[in-house]
Amino acid sequence: MKIEQKKIDEAVQTITGYGGHGILNCVQCGACSAVCPGVKAGFSLLCRNLIRHLLNGELEEIIEDPSSWGCQACNRCTEICPQDVRPQEVVFAFRRYQANEMAFSTSAVTSQMNLYETGHAVFTDARELRKKVGLPAEPPTSAYNEKAQREIQALINSGPMGELGLF
Amino acid sequence: MAKVGVYVCHCGSNIAGVIDVEAVRDFAATLPDVVIARKDLFMCSDSGQEMVKQDVRDGLVDRVVVAACTPRTHEPIFRAAIEKAGLNKYLFEMANIRDQASWVHGHDHEGATEKAKKVVASAVAKARYLESLEDKYVDVTDAALVIGGGIGGISAALELANMGHKTYLVEKQPSIGGVMAQLDKTFPTNDCSACILTPMMVEAYNHPNIETMTYSEVDDVSGYIGNFTVKVRQKQTYVDWAKCTGCGDCATKCPAKTPDEFNAGLSERRAAFIMFPQAVPKKAVIDMAHCLNCAGREIGTIPKVNAKTGKQILAPCEKVCPANAIDRSIAHDPKGAIKEIEVGSIVVATGYKVMEKEWFKEMAPSSPNVITALQLERLISATGPTEGKLLRPSDHQKPKTLTFVSCMGSRDKKFHTYCSRFCCMYMIKQARLLKEKYPDLVINMHFIDVRTAGKDYDEYYTGARNMGINFFKGKVGGLEMLPEDKLRVLAYDMESATNIEYESDLVILATAVELPEDATSLAQKLGLQFCGSKFFRELHPKLGPVETSTEGLFLAGCCQGPKDIPDTVSQAKGAAAAAAVPLAQGKVKIEPIISEVRTEVCSGCGICVPLCPYKAISMREFGGELRAHIEISACKGCGVCTSACPSAAIVLHGYEEDQIFAQIAALTA
Ligand SMILES: Cc1cc2nc3c(=O)[nH]c(=O)nc-3n(C[C@H](O)[C@H](O)[C@H](O)COP(=O)(O)OP(=O)(O)OC[C@H]3O[C@@H](n4cnc5c(N)ncnc54)[C@H](O)[C@@H]3O)c2cc1C
Ligand code: SF4
Ligand code: SF4
Repeated sequence: MKIEQKKIDEAVQTITGYGGHGILNCVQCGACSAVCPGVKAGFSLLCRNLIRHLLNGELEEIIEDPSSWGCQACNRCTEICPQDVRPQEVVFAFRRYQANEMAFSTSAVTSQMNLYETGHAVFTDARELRKKVGLPAEPPTSAYNEKAQREIQALINSGPMGELGLF
Repeated sequence: MAKVGVYVCHCGSNIAGVIDVEAVRDFAATLPDVVIARKDLFMCSDSGQEMVKQDVRDGLVDRVVVAACTPRTHEPIFRAAIEKAGLNKYLFEMANIRDQASWVHGHDHEGATEKAKKVVASAVAKARYLESLEDKYVDVTDAALVIGGGIGGISAALELANMGHKTYLVEKQPSIGGVMAQLDKTFPTNDCSACILTPMMVEAYNHPNIETMTYSEVDDVSGYIGNFTVKVRQKQTYVDWAKCTGCGDCATKCPAKTPDEFNAGLSERRAAFIMFPQAVPKKAVIDMAHCLNCAGREIGTIPKVNAKTGKQILAPCEKVCPANAIDRSIAHDPKGAIKEIEVGSIVVATGYKVMEKEWFKEMAPSSPNVITALQLERLISATGPTEGKLLRPSDHQKPKTLTFVSCMGSRDKKFHTYCSRFCCMYMIKQARLLKEKYPDLVINMHFIDVRTAGKDYDEYYTGARNMGINFFKGKVGGLEMLPEDKLRVLAYDMESATNIEYESDLVILATAVELPEDATSLAQKLGLQFCGSKFFRELHPKLGPVETSTEGLFLAGCCQGPKDIPDTVSQAKGAAAAAAVPLAQGKVKIEPIISEVRTEVCSGCGICVPLCPYKAISMREFGGELRAHIEISACKGCGVCTSACPSAAIVLHGYEEDQIFAQIAALTA
């Protein structure tokens, strides 16, 4: 790997531009990755390691990596980080970069479509199960409310997500 | 008419890289009373100084202005030069065209040059009015005070005493020794801490020039370099130390239990106790906060009498003491006793404490098997609660897997941003000692990075790798409590970019070094300042590492910042040498740039007295009237009184009215 300052600067600017303001605070201690459920599940390019690659200037090189979509937004990294990096925000900034470059992993596309259609990124039809345990079949969420779904779609269509042209 | 010489310095490229030195020199030559204006690449070099001296010797100039860097470092150099050439050294003024022009206006060469001209004009304007001043001298009390009896304080006291100066060593605990007395062995040579420390403790205690005052604290300090008056309070021991032989019988019979601070809370001590077996002095104290007042009797009251036997019912401690050192019917003053001492200089060596594990909620602090490194030190020490056997606290079984966690509270914006400096080394030490003793132990060490800068230190670390100790790069993120008192370690291996999880029997946290709580009140008494990391601030981080901004007050050891024993001892010896200077000279020089009351003008209103931050002003009788008087050795020349006096009766020499007005006129011309 070659180290090119221009590429490093570009990566840092891109990430801070998308909200990952703490990236340069990182001292690579690894505490975030010790507690990250994504890292544990095998998404190695999260928090510490993602930052390392970004600070090597490898923005484009890792653009197709699916790890960032493994982030559960649990924010344990933010809690443990001794340098106030807020690693989760770096991960999300990288996601925004990926999305804007249309570099979605397939798992991400499915959840975007779910969100558009039902208002939930992760959605399972639990009507049978709910009935079995004596709950009303349809919980009061957007999933069973067409008006709410139309509102959500209007919101998505008028924001940056709509501009991606996914839907 | 004054004959002013102006000398403009290039300071290599520090000044000349921004400022047109030639233009400044030309400008200076046009100023009133300036007879000579020269320039040089380095005015402070031998040739630069010689240029000034020659002009003085030739009688060409009788006031000198050097336009260069800061007077903080360079004023003394040029003052000495003109004094050598035969001119009063206070007929000198410095124009700081580096810090005030070239450094701060590097982007604007022209503007910086114009500003430099103004700064020079102002210095010249003042120089025209400078008057000769004479240094003053006061006698010094030939004695020193060392506060804190850890390895730093002991080293400083021995050094001062061996130079022949009477030295008071004040320690707040019942024994001297500090943290080093709690350690098992010491890196990088693994010599036993007690074996090298105890002889020094004894030597200090028995030294004819050292008066050791333990269980004592400084209550109040007044005075100034050469003559400090210090009130030392010996806390109430409730034991007659003149009689106590240190047998420890009282501690065996006393029923009151409380966590033993010396064993870092791993065992209990009694209310009547001796700090540790090798204590110096080896004397018992009764900790009244935990005393149960046995036999239903408050301290200071007459014992009850047994109705049957007619005998007095004594508390166990007083009954058992073979030396009759404990008499609980005496009305001891709970505040102890104050002793006033006079000293010429003071060394502060009050050390540090380590953070408690309770701060680190993610590290399962409620598990007994999570301990601090200081606790492990007691656990592996022959004088510790397990007599040196490694037994984990929960069930006193030998652990099989050990985990070391670095940087707890250090290098962490939530606690302390600094590195505590010696933890990497002591963790490796502890791991090595344990691996030597128990080769079957699995030892996993987790570091952000290993910091072992120091003579023979990195070899000590690489040696540990060869012994089969496992090193992982990556900070531990958390611990989880599991059944059977085990702990799950959530760690990370940076090199392979994968997380690590395993079960451990005993986890050791290397917690951060910080000042003890009472450091703040001590700082207030002594006039010490804190640095950004909340340690005591030295005068200059590079050139004044043992001095403080208060003259006559010096620092040694961890109270100035984390240091291991070799660094503590080096600094302590340096502080002792610096503290001995005024004592050896017998007199301290007082710079005449201080305030003086013109008694005949003073109205005696006393407004200045409470304003002086150095308590230098008092009211004294002059010809039957009370007038302000300034103690020259206490005055720092800050000028507060001068500007506040409604009668304009106070002059600040070196900053007199005509001089200051001339400067203002030059700057606003
Ligand atoms: C677990 C652990 C292991 C270590 N192992 C090693 C090692 O192997 N090798 C090594 O070189 N270093 C080691 N160190 C570092 C070592 O402890 C310090 O370098 C050393 O103790 C510093 O000495 P000191 O005199 O500055 O401070 P301290 O040892 O803290 O002594 C200060 C003394 O001042 C007293 N005091 C405090 N406040 C006051 C007050 N207001 N009035 C009067 N007295 C006061 C205290 O009671 C104490 O006796 C270790 C540290 C730890 C925590
Ligand atoms: S915890 Fe913070 S400083 Fe440490 S590697 Fe993660 S982001 Fe960087
Ligand atoms: S009276 Fe004596 S023996 Fe009883 S608790 Fe107090 S110190 Fe201990």
